[in-house]
Amino acid sequence: MAASVKFRVYRYRPEDGGKGFYREYEVPVKKGMTILDGLLYIKESLDPTLSIRYSCRMAICGSCGMRVNGIETLACHTQISELRRRVITVEPMKNFPVIKDLVTDMAVLFKKQRALLTWLIRRDLVEQENPTHQYIQSDEELERYLQFTYCIQCGLCYSACPVVSTFPDFYGPQPLMKMYRYFADSRDEGGKERIDLVDKFEGVWRCHFAGSCSMVCPKGVDPALAIQLLRRASLRG
Amino acid sequence: MSRSEYRSTVLQSLKTMLIAGKYGLERWSYVLQRISGVVVALYFIAHVLETGNFIGGITVWSVPDYSFAEKAYEETVKLLKNPLFDVGLAVVGFLVTFHTINGIRLILAHFGFFLGKPRRPEPFEPPVSFSTRQRALFWLSISLAVFALLYALDSLMRVFRT
Amino acid sequence: MRERNLMLLHYITGLGILLFGAIHVWTLFFTYPLQETIWETTLRFDSLPYAVLPVYRNILFAASLFGLLLCTTIHAMNGIRAVIAELIGARIRWVEAVLVAVGVFLVVYGTRTILIANNLLV
Repeated sequence: MAASVKFRVYRYRPEDGGKGFYREYEVPVKKGMTILDGLLYIKESLDPTLSIRYSCRMAICGSCGMRVNGIETLACHTQISELRRRVITVEPMKNFPVIKDLVTDMAVLFKKQRALLTWLIRRDLVEQENPTHQYIQSDEELERYLQFTYCIQCGLCYSACPVVSTFPDFYGPQPLMKMYRYFADSRDEGGKERIDLVDKFEGVWRCHFAGSCSMVCPKGVDPALAIQLLRRASLRG
Repeated sequence: MSRSEYRSTVLQSLKTMLIAGKYGLERWSYVLQRISGVVVALYFIAHVLETGNFIGGITVWSVPDYSFAEKAYEETVKLLKNPLFDVGLAVVGFLVTFHTINGIRLILAHFGFFLGKPRRPEPFEPPVSFSTRQRALFWLSISLAVFALLYALDSLMRVFRT
Repeated sequence: MRERNLMLLHYITGLGILLFGAIHVWTLFFTYPLQETIWETTLRFDSLPYAVLPVYRNILFAASLFGLLLCTTIHAMNGIRAVIAELIGARIRWVEAVLVAVGVFLVVYGTRTILIANNLLV
């Protein structure tokens, strides 16, 4: 394996405005080094002006989502050696406004998520505050939505979705998936309300099952499946 | 939004729609379904107009001495003599077959069939919705479409030889 | 119309095209006297009037053709509507109005062609 790789990093300075540009860095590679380690090496030794967002370095926080060689991954979750490339192109995520370099503004994702009622809806508020008994779920009821709770809101699926990038009003895979997580929950009582919310031109119908969202998800969540199931519920009224 | 900005947005959209990149099989099905849909729709419009021209439907646009209609008929016949249209018909056969079978696959997927049930995510396993049955339908659509294309081209070659 | 019903219509018309289109292609292939050469004859655009017209003298066939025309128009216009909206990134009212107008024109013009070809309109 090569002793060093070339990082082509997207740089964008908001004070300059206009389009971003690519700058190249030569990074020595050690065994087990991730893309994030490479970027941190650049920041420490080569170019301190590089901006990245990261936190946990172990694919839990979902901060370091970016596009590496044309596909969305978490930088901390991808080793340089597994790419098998001499040149590694690192770009910020698509479909989000870029704040600086590799840092994107993900407010739109959270805004859409909030608009889709991504919380448990209970009709009886008194009972909700002072429960009189336990609300037990069976294993099957848990499995119905458990997978979708693994989402870390990194925004990779939103960036990979071809429909979001061509039709920005589309709700996006992550918010719809999150909505399905609560829709499928046996404790949730928002069924009809939720279906009416997604049964719009901008809603589930703009998904064409391109599967890019499930392809890039670092946590094995399957947003494409969730959207199809939400659509099935919507089709059945 | 300015005009040039608008154009660049549309170009960007086209690029996203037409280039599947590294996003896998389902993305290719999305791209192909889109292309085939648009091309077949354009073919359909052309087909309605062209059959209308043959049959004298063009007279709706003509004054009663119908010289315009006859001219349109002659011109349509002359235009369609081009062998490019024959090859185009074979390609339309490919696209129609693909769009049909892949469309059935998409309808099934939209109703939640052939996708598998949600389960706990396992490391290094593909997502549930990339199920074998669903992908088999995609490959079936591709192979039937290729078969249709080859069949049409074979007939075409026989026509050209005679 | 609700988006849900529109999509249901999209699926139904899609399956309708499969049915009527199969009839359309099947009749062209297998009811023409020269069965061996019909594919070659229909594949050539310029031979179309001679190849196709004799098959057309049947009211049921005309009805199936009309079904094909209707289904394909609805399916195509709905599909193009979605493609255009996703291409330019917004729904535009007049684009959808134009698509409805194109659809109505196609149905009217195609129906006229079917009627003339079947000698139903003298």
